[in-house]
Amino acid sequence: MLSRVAESLYWMGRYIERAENVARLLDIGLFIELDSEIGPGEGFAPVEIALTILACRDDFPMDVSAPSRDAVLRFLTFDRANHQSILSMISRARENARGTQEAIGVDVWSEVNRLHLFLGGTRAQRKFVRGPSSLFNAIKNSCLLIDGMIQNTLPRDEVYHFLELGRHLERLDVLCRILRAKCPVLTQQVEDHEAPMQLVRWTSLLRSCSAHGPFLRSERERIEPEGVIRFLVLDSEFPRSIRYSAARCQESLESISGGDEDAYGCEAERILGRLESDLRYLDVAEIFDRGLLKFLDSLQVTCHRVSDEIQRCFFLM
Amino acid sequence: MFSGYNLAAYDEMFGSDRTPRPHYAPLHDRLIDLGPAEIERRHKVADLTMRNQGITFTVYGRDQGVERIIPFDPIPRLVSAPEWDRIERGLKQRVRALNLFIRDIYHNRSILKDRVVPAELIFGASGYRRDCLGLRVPKDIYVHVSGIDLIRDANGEYLVLEDNCRTPSGVSYVLKNRQVMKQIFPFLFEEYNVRPVDDYTDKLLSVLRYIAPDGCSDPTVVVLTPGMYNSAYYEHSFLARQMGVDLVEGRDLVLDRGQIFRRTTRGLERVDVIYRRLDDDFLDPLSFRPDSILGVAGLMGAYRAGNIGLANSLGTGVADDKGIYPFVPDIIKYYLDEQPVLNNVETFRPLVPSHRSHILENLESLVVKAVDASGGYGMLIGPASTKAQREEFRRKVEDNPRGYIAQPTIQLSRHPTFVDGHLDGRHVDLRPFVLYGEDVFVLPGGLTRVALPEGSLVVNSSQGGGTKDTWVLQGTSPADARRASTRPTAAEEGP
Repeated sequence: MLSRVAESLYWMGRYIERAENVARLLDIGLFIELDSEIGPGEGFAPVEIALTILACRDDFPMDVSAPSRDAVLRFLTFDRANHQSILSMISRARENARGTQEAIGVDVWSEVNRLHLFLGGTRAQRKFVRGPSSLFNAIKNSCLLIDGMIQNTLPRDEVYHFLELGRHLERLDVLCRILRAKCPVLTQQVEDHEAPMQLVRWTSLLRSCSAHGPFLRSERERIEPEGVIRFLVLDSEFPRSIRYSAARCQESLESISGGDEDAYGCEAERILGRLESDLRYLDVAEIFDRGLLKFLDSLQVTCHRVSDEIQRCFFLM
Repeated sequence: MFSGYNLAAYDEMFGSDRTPRPHYAPLHDRLIDLGPAEIERRHKVADLTMRNQGITFTVYGRDQGVERIIPFDPIPRLVSAPEWDRIERGLKQRVRALNLFIRDIYHNRSILKDRVVPAELIFGASGYRRDCLGLRVPKDIYVHVSGIDLIRDANGEYLVLEDNCRTPSGVSYVLKNRQVMKQIFPFLFEEYNVRPVDDYTDKLLSVLRYIAPDGCSDPTVVVLTPGMYNSAYYEHSFLARQMGVDLVEGRDLVLDRGQIFRRTTRGLERVDVIYRRLDDDFLDPLSFRPDSILGVAGLMGAYRAGNIGLANSLGTGVADDKGIYPFVPDIIKYYLDEQPVLNNVETFRPLVPSHRSHILENLESLVVKAVDASGGYGMLIGPASTKAQREEFRRKVEDNPRGYIAQPTIQLSRHPTFVDGHLDGRHVDLRPFVLYGEDVFVLPGGLTRVALPEGSLVVNSSQGGGTKDTWVLQGTSPADARRASTRPTAAEEGP
């Protein structure tokens, strides 16, 4: 496959996944904010923390000490000047899709194009004013529809695997960022009277990863830090966990480079293989012993190295 | 539905007595049954489909290109079988002759030695490429894909207005319009036996594979686009998708030891045939424009060495030149020893003294065109011009008689078109597409372009023109066939 096309597919996968995650994050953040009393001094409010997760706090044009919720939501949803807004991401996904229409097929392309037209149009604005939640849902649904088409119409060739590689690497990266941003508040010792609030925070963390239901079914126990982290980081079956994402990245890379189990085709494959086996044999207690923050930082570094190596190995010819 | 419909010029649907022509009668009746509100509703569905699928072209001129859909008119244009037969014969003849002409120009030049076409016209043509002298091209085919613009005069005669032998665009709209029509007016297809257009890309791929370098049994074909911001990008992508080949940009290709390769995730892979949608000037910065970043450095060398097939070939623009156009009937007679099936529009050349005085005295009634312009740019439409514009063109023609031609203003035929909620007559032309490989193939149909503003004669999409689906008819309609067939006897039933 053409390197340029492969690169476009990889980034299209990443941007669609990121857009979906941001929509989910904002939707859940808003939900939590509306039903709880979060006082000042407890760190950032659930909506606002998205600015930290996406590392775009410095670009926020208004007074960051007390931004209005509406301004943050708009900045992260519609602001074209903000590279991390949903509109910017969908617009870049669309540019990449436009350059690869012959690879992804007319259905996938049309849906990406439709979502882009929708977000830039008045209907999305109206939906936002009436209630942002319905807008975020429409965005999530469209992203899931795109994924559904990819899963059900594309042959499992390089096109598919570059899309999947992008998607799962992004999923891994975003979850890492979310945990990294929320971790300080989540892991602080709380007084008894704050316990209910802390439970709300952990629940919202699970929900922003679509993990609430699956967690309850799989763990059959109370929501408490070790269980949640184990589930989100180490679970082998939950499709948004870090371990699961790393394994899918690894699989796609293997298919792309056509290597066998005993060898690796490129440095990215080696790093991912190493990460995957680490996660497979890690115990959650060990993560907490090492320090959750430190663990997440090193995960983030690994993620960037993989991305750089993919770039070097497949796109820069 | 047709109340207030004005007859003017040659009307495609109605005869001068206001009755529908026989092949239009079923369409006419169904449109009346449908009524304006229903047509409007279906029209909107068509627009939405095109917008969502990104069937757009880029309009230049603002700070950045704006993507627009080409206005699509839902009323199809019908061409009867006998009409089409003549068009098809005429186009095949014309393209064969033009191909022989281009080959001759770059080799023996017998047509110049025999003084059928003045040599100075050739060397002054902007599409003439000296680099092509003596260059052997695969199978001696130069014009693999062409689009020949036809119009109908007041008597309904089809005339050739313009030849496009470089990189004509629009065929994707022919195919897309048909898909959309099937979606919004499925029942209209019951009334007619419409010749399909879907096999175009299959035929195109065969042509491209046919011109692969010698000894290449399973050639790799690519479509070369200037990139996403080109106005015809949708078409490039559409054709690549339909043929199942890679769509490449110049930066995806590289020359290595005389061969062209594409950069892939598994290293360099050889390319055998390029369907290029890039003008000659931008193809190879080493041979042509050094500032071009769209092409492939050294492509000309690979072409000359016979290592790559190129469609269309280089230097075909010489046949598009409007200064050459008046000679095409002579070119046909010269190479084929046949009378032209399709006539040219009468054309005056300022280089001929008697023509020049005729032009300068009749600017109000003539259309004056720059010989190397297209897309509706660089022309004067006399009857619609201001005095200042006429003076400007008078100076231009006097200063550069080689650079212009003039033709009588022809009232292009008109066709019922859906505007502002009702049907009204609008001027149309027709661009059929011709493929030249092992054989010459004319796609049954073509792009009908329609000038949407009332009375306008400019159909180019860059000037606000729209498109229609074009139906070439054959045999009996499915509905007639069913009526003619005997009914099966009903199954027996008891009490």
